[in-house]
Parts: sequence; C-alpha cells; structure tokens
Amino acid sequence: MTAIDQILHLLLTANLWQATLAAAVLLLLPALGGVISERSGVVNIAMEGMMLTGAFFAVYADLHFQNPWIATLVAMVAGGLMALVHAVVSIRFRADQIVSGIAINIFAAGLTVFLINRLYGVQDVGHIDQSAALPTIVVPGLSGIPFIGQVLFNQNVIVYVAIVLLVLTHVVLFRTRLGLRIRSVGEHPQAADTAGINVFALRYGAVITSGLLSGLAGAFLAIGVSNTFVPNMTDGRGYIALAAMIFGKWTPLGAFIACIIFGLGEAIYSNNSIIQASPYLLSMLPYILTLVVIAGLIGRSIPPAADGLPYVPGSE
Amino acid sequence: MPPGVRRIAQGMAIPVGSVLFAFVVGGLLVAVTGANPLDAYQGLLCGGLGLACAQDENSALQISNSIVYTIPLIMTGVAVALPFRAGLFNIGAEGQFIAGALACTAIGVQLSTWPAFLLLPAVLIGGALAGAAWAGIAGVLKAFTGAHEVVTTIMLNYVAQWLLRFLIIGGPLQLPGGFSASSPIGAGARLPTFLPSNSTDIVFGLPASVYRVHTGIIIAVIAAAVFAVLLWRTSLGYEIRALGQSQRAARYAGVSVRRTIIVTMLIAGAFSGLAGAVQIAGVDHGLTDKYFSDTTGFDAIAVALLGLGSGVGIVFASLLFGALHSGGAVMQSDAGISSSLVLVLQALILFSIAANFLGAIMRQIPGLGQRPSAPAPTAPGAALVTDAAAPVPEEGTA
Repeated sequence: MTAIDQILHLLLTANLWQATLAAAVLLLLPALGGVISERSGVVNIAMEGMMLTGAFFAVYADLHFQNPWIATLVAMVAGGLMALVHAVVSIRFRADQIVSGIAINIFAAGLTVFLINRLYGVQDVGHIDQSAALPTIVVPGLSGIPFIGQVLFNQNVIVYVAIVLLVLTHVVLFRTRLGLRIRSVGEHPQAADTAGINVFALRYGAVITSGLLSGLAGAFLAIGVSNTFVPNMTDGRGYIALAAMIFGKWTPLGAFIACIIFGLGEAIYSNNSIIQASPYLLSMLPYILTLVVIAGLIGRSIPPAADGLPYVPGSE
Repeated sequence: MPPGVRRIAQGMAIPVGSVLFAFVVGGLLVAVTGANPLDAYQGLLCGGLGLACAQDENSALQISNSIVYTIPLIMTGVAVALPFRAGLFNIGAEGQFIAGALACTAIGVQLSTWPAFLLLPAVLIGGALAGAAWAGIAGVLKAFTGAHEVVTTIMLNYVAQWLLRFLIIGGPLQLPGGFSASSPIGAGARLPTFLPSNSTDIVFGLPASVYRVHTGIIIAVIAAAVFAVLLWRTSLGYEIRALGQSQRAARYAGVSVRRTIIVTMLIAGAFSGLAGAVQIAGVDHGLTDKYFSDTTGFDAIAVALLGLGSGVGIVFASLLFGALHSGGAVMQSDAGISSSLVLVLQALILFSIAANFLGAIMRQIPGLGQRPSAPAPTAPGAALVTDAAAPVPEEGTA
C-alpha cells in the first residue's frame, strides 16, 4: 500500500475519529470560553493559564476526595477564580486585557509548580486511582452502531458534556435575549448601557464563564485523559483554543469545526506511524492555518467591535 | 523638592510600587503555604545580588549569573518596548529570540572553520536578520491585512518552538548521537567571556572559568542606547511615536503608516533575534532542550512595561529580572521554595502595572489623588480592535 492509501484507510477507522473527538473537546471547552468572553468585549488570551490551574486543582482535589465529580467542580472553581482576577483587573481597573491575560498565564505556570513544591515536596504529585478518574460512558444500544457508535457513544463523560455545552452556547448566544445582550455589550457597550443593560455584570459573567469552561477542560485533561498533573501539562492547548476561536470567527460552531480540524491532526500523528513527516512539523499546522486565516486568505476573521476596550460609563 | 528630582520620583513611583506590591503579595502566598517569606527573599537576595547568603555562596558568582540572565533581557525588552511606542504589542519576542538562536547556531555550525573576525559578525547578524524576518511576518500581515499582531505573534511563537524541536530532535541540526541538542558552534562564533573560560586561576575564590559574564553585555547596552537614540533623535522615532499616539493623526502628518508598522516590527525582531544569537554565542554555544522552556521573550514584556519604555529603564528592569532569575535557583536550594515563585512575582508585577493598583489606591487617599500621575506605559493592547478589522489604509486613501 502506498502512504496515501494508508492515510485514506486510517481516515476510515473509527479509532481515529474517536481520538479526534476527544482531542477536539479538550480544545473546544476553552475555545467556547474564549468566544463567550470576547463576544462580551473582554479579550481573553488567558485560557491556557485557567486550564492549567484547573488541571492542577482537579488532581489535588481528586487525590484528596477520591471523587472525580468533586474534583471537576474544584477545577472549575479554580479556573473561575483565575478568570475573576482577569475580570477585575480588566473591567474594574480597566487594565490592558492582553497584559492581564499574559500575567494570568505566567501566574498559573508559576503557581502550579510552586504549589507542587509546597504540597508534595520533591515528590511527584501522585497518580489518581482508576476508580477516581472521569469515566468513559458507553451508551447502551447506541454504542453498538457500527463506526458511529464507537466515535460518538463510547467517550469520556466530559465529551458528552462538551457537546451539550456547544449547543447551549450557540443557542444562548444567538437565540436568546441574554445572548443578544452579551453580543451588544461586545459590539457597542455605550448603546447597550443606554438601553438599560448592565455592561459590567454581563462582562464579569462572560469572563468567569470562560474560566469555568477552561477549568473543566483542565479537569478533563488531568483526571480524564491523564491521571496526574505535570508542570505545563496544557502544553499550549489554551493558545490553540484561542486560535480555534479566531479560526471559527468568534462563533461556537465555527470554533468547533476548527477544533475538529486541529484534533484530527493531533489524532493522526499520535495514532499511527505511517506519516513520515516529523510530528514537530505537524504540530505547527494549527498555528500556520490560523495565520493563514487571520491574514484573510480564507475569508476574513473579524473580532467583535468593542473587543479589548474597557468600558467607561459616560464615555463616547 | 527640585522639579527634576520630583519628576524622577514620580516616574519611579509606578515601577517601584509595582515591585513592592508583588513582593508583599508573593510573601503572603509563601506564608499561607506554611513557609517563611523572609527565608525565600533571603535566597533571592543572595542569588540575585550575592548579599546575605545563608550557605556561604560565592557572591561574585551570583552577581555574574545575574548579569548573564540580564543580557538577553535588555535586548528582548527593547524588542517589546519599541513596538509599544508605535501602538503595537509584540508578544512574539520569544519566537524571534528562538529564530535568532536557530540562525546563529545553523551558521555557527555550518561555517565553524571560519575565523572569528568573520564568523562572529556572521552569526550575530544572521540571528538579527532571522529575528527581523520572524517579526516581519507579523508586521506585513498587520500592515496589509489588519491581522492583529498579538494573535499573529502568539502563533509565530509556537511555530518557532516546534521548528526548534524539529531541528534538534531528529532534524538536520541535531548533534549526531541522539541528544535533544545541536552540534556546538565553532570556536570563532563564540563571544568571549570577561574572564578566560579555560583558565584555572582563582578569581574571587573560584576558578575563573565558572564566571560566565560575557562581552554580550556590551552589545546589550549598545542596544538599549540605540533604542533611546532611535526613538527620540531620529525621524523614524518621531514617526513611531506619532503612530503610537494616533494612527489617523500620524497619517495626516505624512507618516506612512504601513511602512512604519513594518519597519518597527523588523527592527524589534532584529533586537530579539540578536538576543537569541548573543545567548548562543555567549553562553550556550549551541541549542539545547533548555530552549524548549525558555521564557526570555515573555519576561521581556514585564521588562518593557516596568522600564516605562525608556532605555535606562529597560536596563534597570532587566537587572531586576536577571537577579530574580538567578536568585530563584538559590532560593530553591537554600530555602526549599520553588524557583517558580519568581514567575508568580513577575505576574504580580504585570498585574500591578497594567491595572495601576497604586494609582487606584492613591486616588482613594485625599490629598494624594490630585497630583498629576506619572505617564503610564502605553497600553496598545487596549486598541485591539480599532485597526484590527480593516487593513491599514495607505496614505491618501483614507
């Protein structure tokens, strides 16, 4: 068989698409958070740090409570608290949102390693028991469907949750009054304020939501996909999620498509030995594709009009 | 107070206040987790400045290490500060630094037999050009398509990181024998250290070879001076500052917006690429896996903000972060507190400068709030959208 035949064959295997969906969901959750935050007008490049914090606290809580659900909740709260810092600094203190985002990411990288050192000394963090991991759920009946059953109905519980959140985010943003308000605050906060919409409350809510979703992704990574925490284990996923958000033109469904493309790339080179190209070269692809997209070569990607601008009541 | 002193004092208030804020909050974090913040800071002081050492560390060695860390920070700091003045946020100093290190290594290995008077300029210029090219991509995209430089430089950082891994893990630059490292650069490509690196003479109680302070410090200080002169004494500097004030006004004043954006990014990238080349030529003499987790270009953001975008300020801010970096290692070995506390402190400094906590507190205190505050560092990131949605119109079309 030629290499092309082999790749085509690989693309027809259910294993590949099962791995693709799982990899995509790791990116989708922070990407959805980014979409919500930026649609409300707060630039968020801090998903990486919020996810990393979530991953650490998921493992910490899981080792303590031996319960993945409590651990996931703790991870979400940890991600949400990091987001709260970003929100306070960006909204209340009107700081540069990019500097704040960078600070969050540096803070998370430093804090997690500092805490490992304080809590576990020179030892590793430790591994969680299989029984305390986020479980894979095989949907009875549906999982028996050839191909589709394995891809869609034999996944980690967080994958199902993420798909529900994807639909929910899309519906809320584009089909509800709340979504209209979030978007109006991100496009023209002065007009929204005049219409009686609480700009600050919506922006706080949106940023904190991005932290909850990123924390959830961190939990999935640490106690679903993996079973321990290692420093910098998010490995740029928060930034790929940022790329997916832009690639998807600040829409949930667009971001999901981007996540599938990026996830497919990851699944292909981690699940086979056919492709001779270096995995390091392939790892560049999400970033290069995103550069091509923001350069406007494949349709222009335009952020919300007030994205990144602090709102000052009474200003023009 | 004489007006000059008062102006300097006011200018120093934000950076000094931010650093104090970071140390107080960082100290609280250490205390909350059950360790003694004074032990931690004693370690930092020892490793950074060679003072108050608990374990008889050699002071001269600590200072030497701090300066070694300071050198690339000055140049990457300039690489962030210059675009800041033009209203551009270069988060890509890290990628440009890596590009410079790659080019320096590739040239230094390929042409290793060349004599130093040819090879040393070749690796340094090669590194600067590679950094300029890397940043130039973001500049051209910004100028012609409006693609925001924050996003493009983040992406370029990752492309550079993966390119580095590709090249030294099984790629063409790998050292034969299977390490995650490149072959060493030729002897002629190395920047000399101040003390002979092959000497066993005892200097300050240790063999001279352990002191790694190298002549790159001269290049770094020149870079900071060039930055100051370029910004304040040249017409390009005027155009850069005009652009940072208002793109529209700059255009009416006859500044070519596109050209200035591209040139600014090219120069910034050259500084950062030069930093990467100097780091290879002066310290590491080849690429290693330690560059996978390098943060010089990210630290540069804090350096540029803390240095208030002035040449002298950047040198002092670099010294601070160089000392913290060096101090972290001693803090970890002496006080048992992870050197990553330094990252926490750095993040706190960033928060404090960006949010201007100090200014907010001053406004709460009657009597203090009326004083004209020091000029805050420009915050071009806040203008993420003003130009992002549309390509920069060339002059005449607006």
